[in-house]
Parts: sequence; C-alpha cells; structure tokens
Amino acid sequence: MKLSVIKAYMLKEFTELFRSKLIIMVYVMPSMIMLLFGYGIRMDVTHARTLIIDNDHSHFSRMLTAKFEHSKYFNAKLTQISEAEALHRIKQAKADIIVIIPSSFEKRILHGQHSEIGVFVDGAFPNRGMTMESYVQGVILDTAQSVGRSLGRQSGMISINSRNLFNQAMRDADAIVPGLIGLVLFVAPAILSALMIVKEKERGTIFNFYASPLGRGEFLAAKLIPGFLLHSLNIFILFLWATELFGVPFRGSFMLYWFAAEIYILISLSIGMLVSVITRKQVVAVVLTIIITIIPGFLYSGILMPISSMAGESYIEAHLFPVMYFNHIIYDCFLSGTGLASAKTVEYLGILIVYAALLLALGSMFLKKELK
Amino acid sequence: MSHIFWVVFGKEILSFLRSIGLVAAVLYSFTADIYIAGEGIQITPRNVKIGYVDDTGGGISQKILSRLHRPEFLAPQRFKSHEALSRAIFDKEILVGILFDQDFEKDFRRGKKAQLNLLLDATAASQSFTTLGYLQNIVMDFSKPHFPVVIKSHKLFNENADNHSFMALTEMLSVITLLIVILTAVVFVREKEEGTWDIMLLMPVDPRVIILAKSLSQVMIVMAGVILALGFVIFGAFDTPMNGSFWTFMLLTFFYSFSSAGIGLFVAAVSKSTMQVAQLSIVIMMPLIFLSGAWTPIYAMHPVLQFLSFFSPLRYYIEGSESIFFRGTAFVDLLPYFGGVLILGILLYWYGFRKIGKLF
Repeated sequence: MKLSVIKAYMLKEFTELFRSKLIIMVYVMPSMIMLLFGYGIRMDVTHARTLIIDNDHSHFSRMLTAKFEHSKYFNAKLTQISEAEALHRIKQAKADIIVIIPSSFEKRILHGQHSEIGVFVDGAFPNRGMTMESYVQGVILDTAQSVGRSLGRQSGMISINSRNLFNQAMRDADAIVPGLIGLVLFVAPAILSALMIVKEKERGTIFNFYASPLGRGEFLAAKLIPGFLLHSLNIFILFLWATELFGVPFRGSFMLYWFAAEIYILISLSIGMLVSVITRKQVVAVVLTIIITIIPGFLYSGILMPISSMAGESYIEAHLFPVMYFNHIIYDCFLSGTGLASAKTVEYLGILIVYAALLLALGSMFLKKELK
Repeated sequence: MSHIFWVVFGKEILSFLRSIGLVAAVLYSFTADIYIAGEGIQITPRNVKIGYVDDTGGGISQKILSRLHRPEFLAPQRFKSHEALSRAIFDKEILVGILFDQDFEKDFRRGKKAQLNLLLDATAASQSFTTLGYLQNIVMDFSKPHFPVVIKSHKLFNENADNHSFMALTEMLSVITLLIVILTAVVFVREKEEGTWDIMLLMPVDPRVIILAKSLSQVMIVMAGVILALGFVIFGAFDTPMNGSFWTFMLLTFFYSFSSAGIGLFVAAVSKSTMQVAQLSIVIMMPLIFLSGAWTPIYAMHPVLQFLSFFSPLRYYIEGSESIFFRGTAFVDLLPYFGGVLILGILLYWYGFRKIGKLF
C-alpha cells in the first residue's frame, strides 16, 4: 500500500466525479427519494371516498351518517343512487366504500330485531381494504354503543386504551422516514461504486490499472474511498431532513447513528463493487444494482411489515440482507433511544461490521488484475 | 421504407441477444425479482406476537385472549410484570402488549366501564393498526352480545386480502418502467457516444423511422418479458385472478411501454453518455414509480404531488391494470387510462423527434 499512489488515484476519481457531474446525483438522489417518499407514502387511510345509501331516513340512520361525515377518515357522501350504480363507481375507481343502511332499520332495532348494514370495500389494494373495513366497523360499532346507551341496554363494557410506544401520535413520518434513511443509504452508494469500476471496463481505461504497478487493494481503496467520503455527508443531510423537515424525534445517541451509518455505507459500496466485478457493461451494472438493492431495501426495511411476522423463506431472506439490522438500529436511535444498552442492538451492530468485512474481502478476492 | 424499419429493428434485437449480461439481467428482473417481491410481503397481520400481563383472576381476560389465534396471532405469551413486557416490546420480540389490571374484571362484572390497556409497537404501524382493529372488534363483540346490528362486510375483488398477487403485480409494473426507460435510452446514447448516430442521421433515411424501429425493438423485448412474468410468476406462482380481459391488459401494456420508451427517448436526447443516462433515468424514474399510486392512492398524497402525478404515464397504467386485474372494469371505463398513456406518449415522441432526430 503506497499512500501517495492511492492519493493520486483518488484525486483522479474526484476530478472525474465532478467533471461528469455524477456528483450531482450523489447529493440529489438521496434527498429526492427522501422527500418523495416522505411526502408521498401514507400508510394510514384518510379521506376514503365513502358513498352512503340511506334507505331508512330515520333518526338512527342520520346519526350514523353524521358519524361518517364527521370522521377525518372518510369523505362521506349521502347519495340516492342504486346499489348497482354505486358498485359501478367502485369499478371506475371513483369510490372506495359503500355503506348501505336498510329500510326500517330504526324500527327493527327498537323492536330488538336483527338488522344488517351492508358494507362494500374496494379490496384491490389489500392493505387499504383491510384498514378501511376496520374503520367502518369501528364507526358503526361506536354509533351502536351510543345508541345502546341511550336505550339503556348496556351491561358491562370494555374500552380500549391503547398507547403507541415510540410513536405516540402514530405519525406516518415517524414510522416511515427512519426506514427511508436505511433505503437511501443502501441504494445510492451501491449505484455509485458499481458505475465507477464498470465505466473503466467499458471504456477500456481499466487496462491502465492492469498494466500499472498498482495493487488490487490500492485500486479498491482508491475506488471506494471517494464514494465513502461523499456519502458520509449524506448521513448528516438525511438526518437533518428527518429531524428538521419531517419533525421525527431523535431520542438515541447520535454517535451510534453515525457509526452504524458509516458501516452501512461501506456495505452498500461493497455490493456495488461486487456487481461491477461480474458485469462488463454500465447498463447491466445499473439495472442489476437497482434491482438487487431497491427491492430488499424496501421490503425488508420494516416500513411495510415487521420482520418478526414474516414467515418461511422471506424470514430467512430478510436475515440475509443487511437492511434489517441497520433498520433496527436506526429505529432504535430515532424512536426508542435504548442504544447500546439493548443487547440486540449490539448484536446487530456486530453483524453489520462482519458483513462489511466479508463483502470487502470477497470483492478484492474476485477482482482480477489481468486480461481474461 | 418498411424494409429499413425491420432491418434496424432486427439489428437491435440481435445486439440485445448478444449481450448475455443484459439478457440475464432482464430475465432475472422479470422472474425471480417479481417472485421475491410477491412472496416477501404480507401486510395483513400474520404471526403477530402478543404478550400480556394478567393481574385479574383470569376469567374474561382468558376469554378475550383465546379469541386471538392463528394464523393472525401467535399464542399470547404471559409476562410477570409491566416492565418485563415493555422490555420485550423494546427488543422487538413482542408487537402488541395487553395489560389487564386488577380492576378490569371487577368493573366489567359490575357493569362499569372496564379499561383494557394496550401497548403497541408503533414502528410497525400498519400491523399495529390492524391488530388494534381486530381487538376492538373482539371487545365490542364481547361487551354487547345483544345489540341487534350485524355488519355484513365485503371486500370486493379480493375477498381474502391476498397481498402476494398485489405485490407481484405492482413489482412487475415497476420493472417494466425501469427496464423500458433505461434500455431505450441506452440504445440511443450508445450510438451517440460512438458517433454512429450522426452518420445515421446523415443518411437519406427518415430519422423518425429509425427512432420508431429502435424503440419498438426495446418495447418488444419488454413485452416478451411481461409474457414470461405473467406466465411464470403472476399466473403461475401466485395464481392471480384476472377479472378483466387479458388482451386489454396486453394492449394497455403495449401503449404504456411505448409511452415510457418516449421517456427513454427524452433521457437520451438530453444526455451525452451512459453515465448521465443512469443518473437521469433514476432521477426521473423514482418519482414516476412512487407517485404512481402503487403505494398510496393519489388522492391521499400531498396536493403538489397529486398535480405532478398527472404527468406520469405510470399513474394511468397502474390504475388501469389494477382495474383490469382486480376490478374487472369494462373496456369503455378504461378509455381514460388509454387516453392518458397515449397523450403523454405522443408528447414525448414529438419532443424526441425534434431533439434527437435532427443533426442541427
């Protein structure tokens, strides 16, 4: 390892990054993903377009309608259209929910007879379908409860008092934004490092390296360090977006966040490097890197589902990718703040370090310094 | 004229097939990648781990707990104290904690308001929410068995809330977008980089024919991938129901691919090297994919993003495809989606012809 050689090579890399304007992508892309996702993704359902067909026009049915109209979860509209017409609206994706109140609804309740409220939910988007269904049931049961109380039909009742740990207000931003950091820092460095080596292969300038006395380790260091340094700045930029713009609380130790993120960037860079070892064309490298980083980055981030409730293959796959470990640490840093006091965090940090070392070793093993 | 068209078309297909790495990457994206995405995610609660602390004698509390069963919930785990339960939630071993305090059963029996305390891990927001909904239902059910309202609820089009096929379909649509934009852009930019594009333009051939032939070749590659993905993954592995017409879907896919090839053309027109194509297409594609309504319905987004999504062909394509697959919408009601995709496509090609189809 000659430091002066590495320094010279790195200088060349930096110059190239600036000249090819790739530097713009290094900083634009992560922030862009963060902003788009942060503002674009909503897990909770609000303003579901609800059509209410009231065939009863009684006190109770109006009470129920009013409950729907006053809820922020629904954009309820009382309509006079037929059932078939309402179903057609759902097919056109112009409505999400239909609630049908039967005729003589009030009368039957007062006589203690059973009556049925029909609810149709658009299930094309399964998760939203489920959520909307449970909201509708909630509103109806809530109304039923107050009606029951006014009729004096109430025996014992149970109310649920739920406390949301780590995210009291159940803010979407708190649940999503830390996971986004994990996604961004997994995708962006990988693409950068993949391109940096394959570019030389495609242009033929890699022969300079083959012919030069530069060692493999030195070459890799020269290729990876610029990306590492540039993306290190992103750790802070993303942190600021999360805390200042999205207002996510930060309860843990900043040093832990910083350290874990640096290790994570190293892993991501090494993945890009492995891709560039096996590919020869920039297109292939880009497509491959995007495909193998974005999907696991999103799936196993815990944004969509907790790892603990995965089953079978996906449970194993989730443990193979580093995303899950980093995300555990990062959610801990932002929301719970237990830090290194929790044994699990320490264990996961250890796994990340081993992961990085392993990938770097693999990369330098496979990188050939000769013509095939 | 048509001879020239097919020669250029054939040449592009041939040069695609010669690049083994590219063929492999496309094949992987259309099969394994979609499979992983479809298999990996189950948004509905599954194996949710529940812990509880029971300070009552355990009559009603056990009755409530016995309602939480597989496959949604694992058998509830008992904890000695509130602290032990909290610690388990912090370590992510437990997702939902239920606390039955001493007065719970007493209050309930006496007809007073009994309170059930719940601790939810909010970092898994969607699961926690759904679990809360489940519990609410159970408890409501419990507290007034003699209230005569029955809710007859139907989830249309996907009664079991099957997430696998939904995720796989969404992933396929994203893969189509990703590949068509990058492939088309690279086909043009590579010629630009090597200088052969200028020679092409100098020849007495209408550049529009060449542009169309080149983009058609990439569209066909992607269409072949779509057929593979549909056959092996969407219908094969996940058994996705198809409530609409298959050919309508293929037609919509064809138009959409062309329209997105237009985006590739735009990217190629403004960039000089493959490197820049990579940057630009990622910067353009990310918003396209995530603003398309695949993850969040458009009307629930920030108003600015809602406005921007009008310019995303993927928006029309995804809504259209979901309607065809799940809602089984009739062709007439799909026309707006066809229209949206076509208009954007024509605009993009118009720009592409002007920008890349001329030497000076």
